[in-house]
Amino acid sequence: MKMLKRLLTVIVVVAMAFTVIGCSAGGNDSTSTNSEYVIGFSGPLTGDAAVYGTAVNNSAQMAVDEINANGGLNGIRFKLIATDDAHDATRVATNYASMMEDGMQVSLGTVTTAPGLEFSNLSREDNVFFLTPSASADEIPQYENGFQMCFADGNQGKVAAEYVNTTGYDTIGIFYKSDDPYSVGIYEQFKENLSSDIETVEALFNDTNSSDFSTQISTLQDCSFIFMPIYYTPASVFMMQAKDILAPDTIYYGCDGFDGLAGQMDLTSIPQEVTMLSHFDSNATSGPAYEYIQKYTEKYGSDTLNMFGASAYDCVYAIYGAMEKAISEGIEIPVDISASDLCEILKDQFYGDYVFSGITGDKITWDENGFVNKAAVKYVLKEAD
Amino acid sequence: MFFETLINGLSSGGTYAMIALGYTMVYGIAKMLNFAHGDIIMVSAYVLFVMISLTGQPLIALIISIIFSMILGVVIEKLAYKPLRGSSPLAVLISAIGMSYLLQSLVQMIFGTAPKMVVIGDLGSITMFGVRIPVYILLTLVCTFLIMVLLSIYIKYSKVGRAMIAVSDNRDAAMLMGIDVNKIIALTFAIGSALAAVAGFFMMIKSPSLTNTLGAMPGIKAFTAAVIGGIGSIPGAMVGGILLGVIEAFSFRMPMIAPYTDAIEFLILIIILLVKPSGLLGKMKREKV
Amino acid sequence: MMKNIKWKHYVNYIIVGIATIIFTILSLTSSLSSSSLYALEKIAIAIILTVSLSLVVGFLGELSLGHAGFMCIGAYLGGKAAVLLEPVFGNTIMTLLIALIIGALIAALFGFVIGLPALRLKGDYLAIVTLAFGEITRSLFMNSDPELFGGTLGLETPRFDRNYLFIIAFIILFICLIIIQNIIRSKHGRAITAIRDNEIAARSIGINVTKYKLMVFIIAAFFAGMAGVLYSFSNYTIQSSTFDYNYSIEILVMVVLGGMGNITGSILSATFLTILDIRLQTILTGDMAVLQDVFRSLILIVFIIYNNAERLRPFREKYNLKSVWQRITMKKKDPNKDQDDEHKWDRVPTKIKMDEILTLNVNSQEKEDKDD
Repeated sequence: MKMLKRLLTVIVVVAMAFTVIGCSAGGNDSTSTNSEYVIGFSGPLTGDAAVYGTAVNNSAQMAVDEINANGGLNGIRFKLIATDDAHDATRVATNYASMMEDGMQVSLGTVTTAPGLEFSNLSREDNVFFLTPSASADEIPQYENGFQMCFADGNQGKVAAEYVNTTGYDTIGIFYKSDDPYSVGIYEQFKENLSSDIETVEALFNDTNSSDFSTQISTLQDCSFIFMPIYYTPASVFMMQAKDILAPDTIYYGCDGFDGLAGQMDLTSIPQEVTMLSHFDSNATSGPAYEYIQKYTEKYGSDTLNMFGASAYDCVYAIYGAMEKAISEGIEIPVDISASDLCEILKDQFYGDYVFSGITGDKITWDENGFVNKAAVKYVLKEAD
Repeated sequence: MFFETLINGLSSGGTYAMIALGYTMVYGIAKMLNFAHGDIIMVSAYVLFVMISLTGQPLIALIISIIFSMILGVVIEKLAYKPLRGSSPLAVLISAIGMSYLLQSLVQMIFGTAPKMVVIGDLGSITMFGVRIPVYILLTLVCTFLIMVLLSIYIKYSKVGRAMIAVSDNRDAAMLMGIDVNKIIALTFAIGSALAAVAGFFMMIKSPSLTNTLGAMPGIKAFTAAVIGGIGSIPGAMVGGILLGVIEAFSFRMPMIAPYTDAIEFLILIIILLVKPSGLLGKMKREKV
Repeated sequence: MMKNIKWKHYVNYIIVGIATIIFTILSLTSSLSSSSLYALEKIAIAIILTVSLSLVVGFLGELSLGHAGFMCIGAYLGGKAAVLLEPVFGNTIMTLLIALIIGALIAALFGFVIGLPALRLKGDYLAIVTLAFGEITRSLFMNSDPELFGGTLGLETPRFDRNYLFIIAFIILFICLIIIQNIIRSKHGRAITAIRDNEIAARSIGINVTKYKLMVFIIAAFFAGMAGVLYSFSNYTIQSSTFDYNYSIEILVMVVLGGMGNITGSILSATFLTILDIRLQTILTGDMAVLQDVFRSLILIVFIIYNNAERLRPFREKYNLKSVWQRITMKKKDPNKDQDDEHKWDRVPTKIKMDEILTLNVNSQEKEDKDD
């Protein structure tokens, strides 16, 4: 009897173990059965950062649908796989392996920075090309196969510091998030490039304290210029809580993470000025960005509209454009091309003379490190009252 | 600056205290870690959001959200915790964790991932001793204090309250004395959830941005506060919550140690517990052999 | 001859052994995809964590919410050791072993440190101290010097060859099982369960409570540290945000779902939950991602209620594998034969409270067992 129970237990375990194999059996050769070009990415579709992942998923899907509606690339359609990493690096390896087994040939990397480093290392192994819309750490494109559509953090920090150096403030405030690589990355470069004549007052917050900023606001209350390298969700909370405490002529100066702020809160309800240095403005009223905003809002509503989505939309078109250019140069890209072969073709384009114009910038090129070259525009989201 | 930081600490401490009150209520009487408590706050805040956009009346919305979350609390108790009555408290803990995930993902399915703005209205601020104090901080503290007093009186002097103490002390003996344990525990959950809805309201006054993970972090902070104050002690929950908020504020104010705020907060808590192993206001239970 | 062997003592070794051999053969004949290999690594790590936490929660009876903190220490220090050793030994088994030892020993040292408050605190108060420890660890590594531990972006560590790492992980799991099971079944184990059941009574019969409590925390931390080092070798980056209290609770869920103080159950539940997570994550992609947690939470709630609900007890007893088989074979229980129930040795009641006598609760003995 006992023997039997043990035996049954063992059988159950072995059966379960085989389901593990089962989940990937046939995965090894599925690439050869592709009937579409497969683009994959890993992003936070649930959890704290879900709004950013959702924006990327929606926009990338929109771009893919548009391309397919226009006949794909020489008749071959595209397919998007969106996996959920919940902003957690531990889930990336599973996502990556599963996407590879589903035949991923080219990737948008990860949406957020934290899991991005793992993805960058994994994709180097198989030589998979990725162009990330928003994982902005300087280390993300550290290998040859990685590229960014957004500005790298170090670069953003430097540009922001150079701007602040010209404004002539004696004292500025910095408000950043101490456990977010995006925020810390910009903050460190900003401090490094800031003129030594300018004094700084710093306040920070972290994940366990992101709904009550009264202490931070008190710390920063004498500053008339506050640099805020953070995403728009906490920024909106800060601004709502600080609107009566900080002087009405205070300037909030943010980076590309600020974009989306207008959809999040009623900016006219605060007296202070809000400015950002970014590559996209969700309030644009003309040009290609406006067209995108129209299409996106019609399909998914405006509450998830932000820079992440716009950047992802551009990523899909940039990859599409590079493949189209390669084909026009006489290179064949069969539908079942391996990820590594496609990576070589795309690398030649991105390191070569490929120029892309999209909604987040005109005449975008990439340098030898995989960093993007495009114009950063200073957008005044709201002037001081 | 000291006074100012103290006020800032009271701002977050008041919220922690208010959440901890509901937490310690369920915790002390039903003897379970209700990990879904934070998520009941979150759901009630979403109800508040819907009701405010429908009616535009914050007070009506508050009342509806209190009623809704009371029903929700009782339903959750009946579905997920009651079947486990009598088994290990850890089994109930797992069920509560499951509920927490479930509520979060259901809310995401209904409302999407984008944060919602809940505008309740500006209460302004007053100046005292040369320091600007937002009215909501005073309101939160006064309400928390009132709730604490009322709850203490209710539990100590009313018949139902004493039944609650009896259930908390010894469930089987209470049953023998003719107390309907199921009813008492359901009532405990109803009160706890009503407090959650009130806490949700005050959180929304302070920080109007609402997402489906709103309750996770305050939930764990409130648990910490409840333990620091002494498990089951209602004044203890308030003291613990406020203490936590004040420590946090002072730590954030000092640039050198600000990044380590979490670590400092918890380190102080460990020290407090080592000095006073049953929490600040908790009673030491003598162990029987 | 076979009858003299107590099979129940070896069932865990057999399970793990068979799994190791089967998958090693499969891996060597290279018919395992990288996702399966990664899944196996994850399973081995989850089982090591679950079994070691089970020693604290299930056998010593103390609630620990900071197990991920020990893992974090192991992962960071083992990972850092690997980074430093890689230029010397390369990414070889030598590096792995040294990193394992360093990570596990330092984690064990912290296990000792956390064991000290456990001497003074009980129940939820101890739980909050362990939780605090986990959060302090996470916060310190999060704000560490980027040169030293990578700061917010995390530490980049060498990744071990996926074809072999899971074999090493399973061997470590095997060693972990041998050590922990042997402790439990020795006089030390009986002393530990005696402390769980009644600390004062245990002390009165001369059990050194201090020694055993510290021992349990050190051993649990040691293996959690090893799991951490394995984690750092199975991934390219380690980030302290991974090891937050949620992770500790996830491990606790595995322990409780498997049944308190039941090693076989811990192994099965860790395997089951890890596979479930991976499957949900890979099947429910894109817009469906939100359903992952719906399914996961429903499965958790249904499982825990089915396994523990008092009302369902007759149902469970009627329809478990054993009784169904009995009905098929029409065998009757032989009352003369000793029914060697699983873990019967673990269920010996050591105390009766005064209240229980007063309440005349027939089930009091069973209840007492669980209430602790």
